[in-house]
Amino acid sequence: MSSSAKSSHENHRNHLLLPKSLLRNQSFPVSHPNPNLDFVDKDDVISDNFRNSDYSSCPHLLQFRSELGNNPFRNLQDCFRVRPLGRASVRREPPHEIVQCGACKQAPPRLYACVTCAVVSCHLHASSHASDLAGAGEDDGSSIASSSHAIAVDVDRAELFCCVCKDQVYDRDFDAAVVLAQTAASTIGSIPGPSPPHHAENMRKRRRVEYKPWTPDLKEQALIVEKSSPLQSQPIRLGESDSELPWGLRGLNNLGNTCFMNSVLQALLHTPPLRNYFLSDKHNRYFCQKKNNVNPSNRDTNNTTNKKSAKLCLACDLDAIFSAVFSGDRTPYSPAKFLYSWWQHASNLASYEQQDAHEFFISILDGIHEKMQNDKRKLQNQGSGDCCIAHRVFSGILRSDVMCTACGFTSTTYDPCIDISLDLEPNLAGSSKRTSAKSNPYIGEADSTNSSESTGFSTLMGCLDRFTRPERLGSDQKFFCQQCQVRQESLKQMSIRKLPLVSCFHIKRFEHSHIKKMSRKIDRYLQFPFSLDMAPYLSSSILRSRFGNRLFPFDGDEPDAKSELSSEFELFAVITHTGKLDAGHYVTYLRLSNQWYKCDDAWITQVNDNIVRAAQGYMIFYVQKMLYYRASERQVAS
Amino acid sequence: MSAPNEDNFSSHAQLSSEFFGEILDSLIVDVASECHRIARLGLDRNLDEEEEELRLSAEARARVTDPSNSSEANGKYVVDIFGQTHPAVANEIFECMNCGRSIMAGRFAPHLEKCMGKGRKARLKATRSSTAAQTRHSRGSPISGYSPYSNSTSTNRISNGGVSHVASDEYSNGTQEEH
Repeated sequence: MSSSAKSSHENHRNHLLLPKSLLRNQSFPVSHPNPNLDFVDKDDVISDNFRNSDYSSCPHLLQFRSELGNNPFRNLQDCFRVRPLGRASVRREPPHEIVQCGACKQAPPRLYACVTCAVVSCHLHASSHASDLAGAGEDDGSSIASSSHAIAVDVDRAELFCCVCKDQVYDRDFDAAVVLAQTAASTIGSIPGPSPPHHAENMRKRRRVEYKPWTPDLKEQALIVEKSSPLQSQPIRLGESDSELPWGLRGLNNLGNTCFMNSVLQALLHTPPLRNYFLSDKHNRYFCQKKNNVNPSNRDTNNTTNKKSAKLCLACDLDAIFSAVFSGDRTPYSPAKFLYSWWQHASNLASYEQQDAHEFFISILDGIHEKMQNDKRKLQNQGSGDCCIAHRVFSGILRSDVMCTACGFTSTTYDPCIDISLDLEPNLAGSSKRTSAKSNPYIGEADSTNSSESTGFSTLMGCLDRFTRPERLGSDQKFFCQQCQVRQESLKQMSIRKLPLVSCFHIKRFEHSHIKKMSRKIDRYLQFPFSLDMAPYLSSSILRSRFGNRLFPFDGDEPDAKSELSSEFELFAVITHTGKLDAGHYVTYLRLSNQWYKCDDAWITQVNDNIVRAAQGYMIFYVQKMLYYRASERQVAS
Repeated sequence: MSAPNEDNFSSHAQLSSEFFGEILDSLIVDVASECHRIARLGLDRNLDEEEEELRLSAEARARVTDPSNSSEANGKYVVDIFGQTHPAVANEIFECMNCGRSIMAGRFAPHLEKCMGKGRKARLKATRSSTAAQTRHSRGSPISGYSPYSNSTSTNRISNGGVSHVASDEYSNGTQEEH
């Protein structure tokens, strides 16, 4: 267990962000942990290295490997027996051979077969087997004599055991052999599944991006001074500090039941990659309109038609809002034009009544995509995010595996997703018994301590655990297995193939029942962390766990790449809903410079962390940690 | 000779408990082996941080519900961080981009709904030609979303512009309007 984490969570906050390393002109090596990067706790780095190399093996295993050369486990390769979706075991050819300890003739829970001579011993007699046959080395007891009989394999679990250390040990080649046996068993004669979209290469490249903070050169500085004017902002005294309030904080007027729109806009205005995109003028509304305004000199006398000939572009309207909100003007802004444009885009939602903020969110991202598509090709790979900024920021890829319970054949599909909608647990009342949260028929990860039975309330990670756990499809939903050639009962499991830059979690609090012709709101509290590690929900982790957590590269990721950095997220915005289903109110909490602000339509106030932690989250926004900059308390003029 | 049933029973019970014991031992070793692997290979989740987050959230909830703590600035009748106060209904005035009229911000959405011909009442409207709509506009009345053909309850409502139902009835015979 990570003992180093104890020290790190004390300076929990400061620690998770990337302050100094970004100001130093330093490259950002993700694959090689760099002890000089002081955003990572040094202990973490060291212990990770230590973990991976020193803890998993033992001197006897290493010596065994050096003695037996290249493929030390070759005589085991044919002995793996794999049950579909089950774990591997080790058996010799006579299939119903009774396995028992050579010394005591018992068959206790643990039986170890010596890798060299195939003698089976129980754990009590295993070490004597090793020492008895410890070759012609010095017999002083302390040296490692010939260890060729020190290594055995647990016949029921296909795990290596060092009889001298009396402990389970791990080896890459062995694990590789097990995994190959497992995959061979489940894919005999099958068509290989679709390869993950070719972003795997991009992903690797993206991880190794060298980060350099940008500063304008002399020519650019001159250009900036010439073509722009500085924004004025009055420093406002907040409590004791004389600090300036963050840019981009500005109330939004409620135009009549439009808090659903205001809340989402506030979150988007402070979504780091989106904010950077628009503030960097990547979508200049003047250029866009000019480029697309077909008839600038419209002879039509009707004034309204003329106005409508302006190209409808939600990105342009969003650009206008960014300009207004970051202008330094603190009087509340009315996003009227945006509402108008959105109602033209989503005419089915255009009405004066409270809308669902999540529906609005999806709708405007779709609107931005539609108008901004770089390429009009139909088969736009949304997962890669090349089509528009909305997908570039929010789009991830989900992997869905459907596994035949009879033969283990797995069918895999990939789908882009712009957010993740999570169900709250059905009913917690009365579930005092600690029942297993998962019905894992085979080797899976250790049971999550985040299940609500232990904590008493729902947690975001608990919801994600449930989202990614294998689900048995009903017998009415039998899946046609290509290997079995019949419909079989199957398991379905979701996982995240590619994480988006910004993860939006939508908590399904509004239940609509067509049967009962009623809707209701679930008010139950959901705990969400300020820092979230998505690693356990990645396809690589889920897949690895499905194969018994073997040391084997899955889906092309290198086992020693420090990919954890790209799976860590920081919370930056929470949209909450209070009140009833049809008479409620949306509010957004924003985290800027590690301070929380409540954005309630036109009213911006500062709030304590506790208020946010205790709030009823409806849409929860996280950004990849490496993109999350902690601005200093004082605005540094560059 | 002992009663065969009794003997069988006790040896059955003994065997059963032995089998059960072995199965249980095996299950325990399964879990231990899996956890050992996860821990040794560094695949375990950072439970310390997760627990810390849970603890902070529990504390936060306790603090928030404690009435002795100063409550969060609630409601709309507060001073914001910029030192401003705002009315409950936003009173900024701007021009509607659809019809050009001056509208108060807090009433913009209901206005726009009718202005654009959107919304529930408007959706029930049968398709009318745009010239008829223009005509109505030119007669100086506010653009109405009412449909003469609708049988909804909208006939009982009065539009924002104050046009009574009686007046809108006049338009229902649209084909006979004079321009």
